[in-house]
Amino acid sequence: MNMKKVIAVIMAGVMTAGFVTGCGQSSKSKSTKDGKVQLEIFSTKPESAKTLQGLIDKFMKEHQDISISLTSQADAGTILKTRLTKNDIPDIIAMGGDATYTELQSAGVLLDLSDSGFTEKVQESYLQMVYDVNKDEEKKAYGIPYATNASGVIYNKDIFEEAGVKVPKTWTEFMEVCEKLKAAGYTPFELTYADAWCGLPAWNSMATVIPEKGFTDARKKGETTFADTHKEVMEKYLKILNYAQEGFLGTTYNDGNAAFAKGNAAMSIQGNWAISEYIKTNKDINIDMFAFPSTDKADSNTVTSGVDVLMAVSNQASEEQQEAGKKFIEFMLAQENAKQYIEEQFAFSAVKGVEQDNETVAGLKKDIAEGRVSNFPDHYYPSGYDLAAILQECALNFTNGMSEQENIAATLKLCDEQYDAANVE
Amino acid sequence: MKKEKVSKAFYLMTIPMAILFFIFHTYPFIKGVFYSFTDWKGYGDWNFVNLRNYLHIFKDKNVISSYLFTFKFALAATIGVNILSMILACALNAKIRCKNFLKAVYFLPYMLGVLIIGYIFKYIFSNIIPMVGSSLGIEALSNNLLGTDSAWIPVLIVTIWQGLAFNTLIYLAGLQTVDTSLYEAASLDGATGLKRFLKITFPLIAPFFTINMVLSGKNYLMAFDQMMAMTNGGPGTATTTISVLIYKKGFTGGQFAYQSANAVLLFLIIIFISVLQLKVLEKREERVGE
Repeated sequence: MNMKKVIAVIMAGVMTAGFVTGCGQSSKSKSTKDGKVQLEIFSTKPESAKTLQGLIDKFMKEHQDISISLTSQADAGTILKTRLTKNDIPDIIAMGGDATYTELQSAGVLLDLSDSGFTEKVQESYLQMVYDVNKDEEKKAYGIPYATNASGVIYNKDIFEEAGVKVPKTWTEFMEVCEKLKAAGYTPFELTYADAWCGLPAWNSMATVIPEKGFTDARKKGETTFADTHKEVMEKYLKILNYAQEGFLGTTYNDGNAAFAKGNAAMSIQGNWAISEYIKTNKDINIDMFAFPSTDKADSNTVTSGVDVLMAVSNQASEEQQEAGKKFIEFMLAQENAKQYIEEQFAFSAVKGVEQDNETVAGLKKDIAEGRVSNFPDHYYPSGYDLAAILQECALNFTNGMSEQENIAATLKLCDEQYDAANVE
Repeated sequence: MKKEKVSKAFYLMTIPMAILFFIFHTYPFIKGVFYSFTDWKGYGDWNFVNLRNYLHIFKDKNVISSYLFTFKFALAATIGVNILSMILACALNAKIRCKNFLKAVYFLPYMLGVLIIGYIFKYIFSNIIPMVGSSLGIEALSNNLLGTDSAWIPVLIVTIWQGLAFNTLIYLAGLQTVDTSLYEAASLDGATGLKRFLKITFPLIAPFFTINMVLSGKNYLMAFDQMMAMTNGGPGTATTTISVLIYKKGFTGGQFAYQSANAVLLFLIIIFISVLQLKVLEKREERVGE
């Protein structure tokens, strides 16, 4: 046989093999085995795998007829989207209330849980956040909010006491506190802007309170601009930078956390996720949190809090699986189990009556219990919109000594340009 | 006519590689070109959009500014690496002590991954240098350089240090091909030092110079790892090269198809620049060879 032909045949064979493996369907596992209902739980938060597994084991002890396996991988969002295209949806999904949820929800693969009685067990404000990210903001619970996070200002209680300042409730008080701390020789803020995302928490806290409600929708339709509505946010954002430590733009998250834990600064603008980092460096650190005082109206200032984990059931699963999935969610929502989850994960609970009692976040407890929370505004921005980089550039302009007015104008212009660039897909 | 029989062993050696290359390199590349004409987000449904993605590139400020930065960076890195590695190669080729030890020292960074080096230097620039700088009272060094407008300079230094090894190696190989009797003849005619280098050594290793220029030009136009490790393209977008932009916007920003178009454009630009370099430098080789 001619050599060329042989090569051609081999090539063709290998190529077909490549296509087949590349586009192959993963076979769906059977819904029952040995008389047990088989369930797969997919979690997008690998850091919570251990806690989740503990609760699953407890559930399986109580329900001998259900067998649950946990899938929790890194880069879970991408994996979930890929599985969506292959129509291979996990039976139960534990994920954040973000763009990936919207993707799944609008694809119509999630079960409507509105009538399951779960919605009464969770806080209205978090349920609303889930509705907000539904397609067309449909008021149906395709996901039940479970665990939440909270962002605001973390402060060192000892330094506050030494400097004789109290927790500020309004913006004016906030600035007075900064001034007093500075006069007493303390660095008011430890900011870690070398990691771009660390520039977001301050913006997130203010951007939900200061601009008119409904900005995100109006901006999406092109009816308003950042330049018209976010001037005050930017002015306050730059004021904060005045009170940051020297060289904050070169401080990384890790280095800054260590510095804050050692008491190098009085405050840090972060969320509850940073607290465990501080404790790692200094386990005796005496800290607490308060809501970012964005405005002078104390009542309208909110804790920025988003749905970190919600529970959803696939409507592609068999009927038995769907029932078993609901049973599992009911189990998770039970006070004792919800409590166990937030204690181990250091999170907040969306379940009514379950409170985070840790004293490092005590200052937020009242705000959260009374529902004075607002979602992270960047959950509503288009996914390609890199606000963190824009704010980092603004901070760079600031350190380069650009005038405040010029910097505000340039940054907001960039915000709008980038938004428009990202809004087209 | 009877062809000479070629041993099958040669095919057995080359074909599997060609197939693997096709599957893991050419096929994804063709797929990428294909998707650059669609509005695919990386998953889900897609439609053909013709040249929309390509036309949008020329209106996108992010893309234009990162191309400008990439060219600046690639030019500086290519020139820096080639001058320094040429000097190093000449020095290492001379009869100096501990030659082999020094060769190993200079080759070491090449054996480490750029990412690892990047992370180590990120630590050095953000912790050690500011400490030294402030204790010596040098204003410019007392803050983390990676958080300033000059963030690209530390990145450039690391890139050059890491890239030196490979180019030095090629120049060294080139220098070994030069017949030592030529040097003897030259020294009899009174050509020494710089003159000997310019008139004899350099023309003789000109082909190696061409290879190095083309390879490093191409490498630094595609610079990626060092930025990801040291600055993540920041502060702001100050060190966003085109590869970093493609990765960030394409994979995390849902602009997969659009950034595929951008990648195709980058590919064409690199081909164009490489061919141009080859043409110009080969012509120069001929001229100096005369």
